[in-house]
Amino acid sequence: MTEECSSQRKCFEESWPPVRGEYVVGDPNARVAVVTLASQLHVRGSAISGPCKTENLGVEKIVANVVSNCNIRFILLCGAESKGHLPGNTLLALHRNGIDEQGRIVGSKGAIPFIQNLAPDAILRFQEQVQLIDFIGLEDEAKIAELVEIYNSRAEPYPREPFQVVKKKSTAKVISAGEGDLLLGSGVVMNTATWLVQAEVVVEC
Amino acid sequence: MVNVGGIKLGGQPGENATVLCGTIFYQGHKIVQDEEQGAFDRAAAERLIARQAELSEETGTPAVLHLYARTIEALERYLAFADLTWAGPIIVDSADAAVRAGAAALVSELGYADKTIYNSISVATSRMEAQAIKESEVDSAILLAYNPTDCRVDGMLQVLEGGAAMAEKGLIPLAEDLGITNKLIDPGVVPMGSGAGASLRFSTVAKAKLALPVGSGIHNAVSAWPWLRQKDKATKKCCDGAASAMQILAAGDFLLYGPIENAEFIFPAAAMADILVAEAVRDLDNEPAANHPIHRLV
Repeated sequence: MTEECSSQRKCFEESWPPVRGEYVVGDPNARVAVVTLASQLHVRGSAISGPCKTENLGVEKIVANVVSNCNIRFILLCGAESKGHLPGNTLLALHRNGIDEQGRIVGSKGAIPFIQNLAPDAILRFQEQVQLIDFIGLEDEAKIAELVEIYNSRAEPYPREPFQVVKKKSTAKVISAGEGDLLLGSGVVMNTATWLVQAEVVVEC
Repeated sequence: MVNVGGIKLGGQPGENATVLCGTIFYQGHKIVQDEEQGAFDRAAAERLIARQAELSEETGTPAVLHLYARTIEALERYLAFADLTWAGPIIVDSADAAVRAGAAALVSELGYADKTIYNSISVATSRMEAQAIKESEVDSAILLAYNPTDCRVDGMLQVLEGGAAMAEKGLIPLAEDLGITNKLIDPGVVPMGSGAGASLRFSTVAKAKLALPVGSGIHNAVSAWPWLRQKDKATKKCCDGAASAMQILAAGDFLLYGPIENAEFIFPAAAMADILVAEAVRDLDNEPAANHPIHRLV
């Protein structure tokens, strides 16, 4: 038997998982999260399971939902890889190598493997908290359930507080719409950059 | 305004009807029996393509056949079939960059380059893929303005014009270097919750600033919405039609409307939106084209 989180320390918030997506929540006290990549599979016994088809936004959601639950110590990658996007390969690369200064996931073979909404410490936490179990290509639901059961008993909860990923806020830039504003007639224009509809200013000479 | 295979894309709102692009042989398409070899149910494919053509003729809404292929062998078979069953422009597309690169060479060899739209040139376009486009006769392409580090409107514009950190140059100058004269702009729609709505505002900004045709696959925002998956077909169709109309109202010139089966309800929704836009600008001297839905359906 593995140790549950004590009453003094919460392994996840009641609102977990914090980021919405195409997943099924199982037992939040389980140690394994299952990513079924491009396959739709019924998974038993995991904390959370679901597909991931993109190498950027999809990967970000997985990281956010995993690091916010200390019980999760393993991510089982299975199912068919999503062609071109390669989110399975990208998750492995993120875990192994992290990101560069531009946010590119180092070593990923996916089409556009960039992290936009995660701070570097979230990625460090992801690398420390979980171990990736690479069974990409496996679609046998019985075998997946067997693996989940094995890994569910292999580790204790991560000994830190749940990590909450807060979306980075950046300052808005004003776009110059130039002469391309939409004329709506009757002296009314729409600034295409801001989508503000306003009356034309008439300058009297 | 650009002209691909006799179809006009762009112009002022209310001038040309929105060009509707239905996808066939997409990933998971039930009519495909072997996606590696390109084996498919020919009778079913013919019915789908003919129905898109009928709806285009009935509504006055131009259409493009969007061919998705897993391999170059499959694309070769799809192109041969499209040559027999479809008279208009085509889009060639694959998730695999090597297949897209091969597609550029293949359509040139077969003499289809002048009616082919390459999907797509993006920040993911490698030197190998760019070289294949340059060496081909393809001169029309969708430029995917998706910016993985900044999916706001200004981030997408940076990807197109230059200045986004992850690419050597902007997609517009890159496309021009590769011989692309007909440049179609697509924001690359992300799921709702991740910023899908920015695609709509981007459309009006990009059209105004760049004077290029804009459009999107806003269908993807609808199909990626987990909440909607639990709903019935009628509800899903309603949302798909509404999203399409919103893209048209946001200055859209073309629509990648998703599975070609959706033609049945997307064509009426798009024709309705085109008519409403045309009526909205009637007193601004934006004359609808001769074959515009406003001349056929009302």
